Amino acid sequence: MGEVMTSPHAENAIWVEILSRLHDVATRYRCAVLPITVGRAYDNDIVVDDPHVAAHHLRIHRADDGTLMVEDLGSLNGLYVDRERERRTEVALDAEHDLRIGATILRVRSTAHEVPAELPMVRGLPYWPAAIACIVGVFALAALDLWLSETGEPKAIRYFTPLLILTVVVCVWTTGWSVLTRVFTGHARFGLHFLVVAAGLLAYSIYDQVAEIGAFAWSWTSLATTSYVIAWLLLGAICFAHLVAINRARRPLKIAIACILAAAGIAMQTLKQREYRSTYGQPTTLNRLEPPALRLVAPQHDAAFFTDSTALRTTLDKARTVEPESGDASGENDSDD
Amino acid sequence: MMERRFDRFVRFGIALAFAAHAVAAAAQAPPIQPPPTPPPPTMSAAAESIYASARPGLLQIRTLVEAAGRQSSIGSGFLVSADGLAVTNYHVVSQYALEPKTYRLEFARPDGTQGALKLLAIDVANDLAIVRLEGANLPHLSFDDAALANTSPRGERLYAMGNPLDLGFTIVEGTYNGFVEKSYNPRIHFTGAINPGMSGGPAVTAAGNVAGINVAKRLDGELVSFLVPAGKAAALLARAQTDAPLDLSHARDEMDRQLLAWQADFYHALGEQGFRSAALGPYQAPESAAPWFNCWARTNADQTPKPRAQLDSTSCSSQSSLFIAEDIETGRAELSHAYVRSVDLNPFQFAAFVSQYYGAAGMIRSWSRKRLTQPECHEDFVEHGEGPAGPVLRTVWCARAYRDFAGIYDVAITTVTQDREKEALVSRLSMQGVSYDNAVTLAQRFVGEIAWAK
Repeated sequence: MGEVMTSPHAENAIWVEILSRLHDVATRYRCAVLPITVGRAYDNDIVVDDPHVAAHHLRIHRADDGTLMVEDLGSLNGLYVDRERERRTEVALDAEHDLRIGATILRVRSTAHEVPAELPMVRGLPYWPAAIACIVGVFALAALDLWLSETGEPKAIRYFTPLLILTVVVCVWTTGWSVLTRVFTGHARFGLHFLVVAAGLLAYSIYDQVAEIGAFAWSWTSLATTSYVIAWLLLGAICFAHLVAINRARRPLKIAIACILAAAGIAMQTLKQREYRSTYGQPTTLNRLEPPALRLVAPQHDAAFFTDSTALRTTLDKARTVEPESGDASGENDSDD
Repeated sequence: MMERRFDRFVRFGIALAFAAHAVAAAAQAPPIQPPPTPPPPTMSAAAESIYASARPGLLQIRTLVEAAGRQSSIGSGFLVSADGLAVTNYHVVSQYALEPKTYRLEFARPDGTQGALKLLAIDVANDLAIVRLEGANLPHLSFDDAALANTSPRGERLYAMGNPLDLGFTIVEGTYNGFVEKSYNPRIHFTGAINPGMSGGPAVTAAGNVAGINVAKRLDGELVSFLVPAGKAAALLARAQTDAPLDLSHARDEMDRQLLAWQADFYHALGEQGFRSAALGPYQAPESAAPWFNCWARTNADQTPKPRAQLDSTSCSSQSSLFIAEDIETGRAELSHAYVRSVDLNPFQFAAFVSQYYGAAGMIRSWSRKRLTQPECHEDFVEHGEGPAGPVLRTVWCARAYRDFAGIYDVAITTVTQDREKEALVSRLSMQGVSYDNAVTLAQRFVGEIAWAK
């Protein structure tokens, strides 16, 4: 620092930074005297070992008005700014835009470049208590659900296997996202990812129970039969949260990825259900009853119930005139409607 | 349950007696030769002459795949008039009746002559069909008067004829055992070996007159076979002789008409016979008082490990099945009740246990997407508007339509009582081949009779 301050050329010195593909600084050269040249040949001021870079590729100099300029010295692969596709011969440099030559990314900053303020150090692991609370909730709900549907001989293995599978899935999932985050940002953020998946699973477990009981309580079967829609939406939201945890850039793209994932999942499962129904003729009914005390709606009078049942006749009469879907190619046209 | 136990006991007793006898016989030395008994010459002589006289009137009826010209199914039949009218089973010609463009009918006579057959009339309910072959002065069989008047004596010898398994024309001796008691559609119980391929062939008396038409056998018994009474064939023959022949392009409409008429009679009779109340724990539930139901009881009390909820069920199914095609049967009704009570399940677990019997939604038999639409269901909590006081019922109604026949449905209604936490009655009424109105009426009556025991 002191050296920079005392150097007579301090005001005019620049830093040339070679960036990795993830825009981290790989190497940094201080150049006190301009102009300089950049290229693969050893007589350059900065030597770049990139086969797509010319022997003498760039020249960086200061224009008469003091602006830093860079010019292409007639290379084959040219000079580009950021992700632009338009080739440049000469570019006025600022501190924000990157230069692209061959497969190498460069950034040029003067010593006068201002850096942002110092960030406070985050102490401890703020995500862990919440994540652990969530995962305990998930396990408790899963165990409760298993216990309440236990109608045969009680066996420990019935609890052990699903809970073990759940544990393994959570570990693998969280580790996967952490590794990804480490690759892109250098920090694993395991605690944050763990919180995301634990909170997501807890939300799903609660919704699943509410939907199942609510479908009975309000006699609203589709609440239970369409709970997979919510499950996929939640999975989309979880993935979005993971992507945001990696970094905060490109939010619209991440929203799009989450939406596509959820839509694809819902479409897949809807199709699968349809196919199953049309292959095996299984009716859609509530498949789990609850204790009678949980009923919240008033019962229908039997006359009204049979009036509603009679209304199904129109649907059936319409269905019988439609050719049954078959497994061959002609069936594919039908599956779109 | 009582009947089954009694049955098992009797068989066991007989087996013991035989074993004792065999041991006693082996102990004697030297074995005593039984006195030679001459075979009754009249019996085989009768069969010989009956076969000789009936043989020219027999037919093998083949259904051929039009494109391949090969047989896809075979049956039998017999001539009943000199101008070529013949009787067979509907199920022998069903492929042709349903798909006249894909199949054709052919006959083969014992003398080797072959030719095309025309389908004139069908009777789906009695599994009969009338076909015609070209010819004049043909040898033919006539119906037995005693059989037409239903006065045949039980134990009478009958001789079933036909071409079993495409092995050649055969005569089988057997016994007339009256009408099957629990069958809604009248069937003669014939004790004799009827095999596939003999369907549609005649069963004749010693005088050579037709008493019945071979139709089916039980797979779970020995020599338990069934005949369609001759009177049904005579009636269809009379109709075929006066009415216009069956329009093959509208055969399904005719079958539809017959099925609608059949179900109108059947479900009307079911309603007329009424229900009797059976007590099941704190509940009473309707069972059909009609005689053509076969009822069985089941309990899980003897299971190991000891069940955590005890289930006692009764299931009554009507003996009224109708054959339509290989992949579809119809005509049955089923009433079942299961009284379930918790042994050590909590209310949630008990509800989950009961769900097993609710979830299947109770459609009888397998489903064929070619023949039936996908089922549509409606479910809700239901309480009695009028009638005896009863619990709130979780009720699901499921119905599916027959693709081939308008106005005919399979319907099942299942109810679960909702007044106790650890006890429930699961009741179900399943109806095959029923009109929607009949189904609603009967189901409404069924649900109305599920009540608290008095």
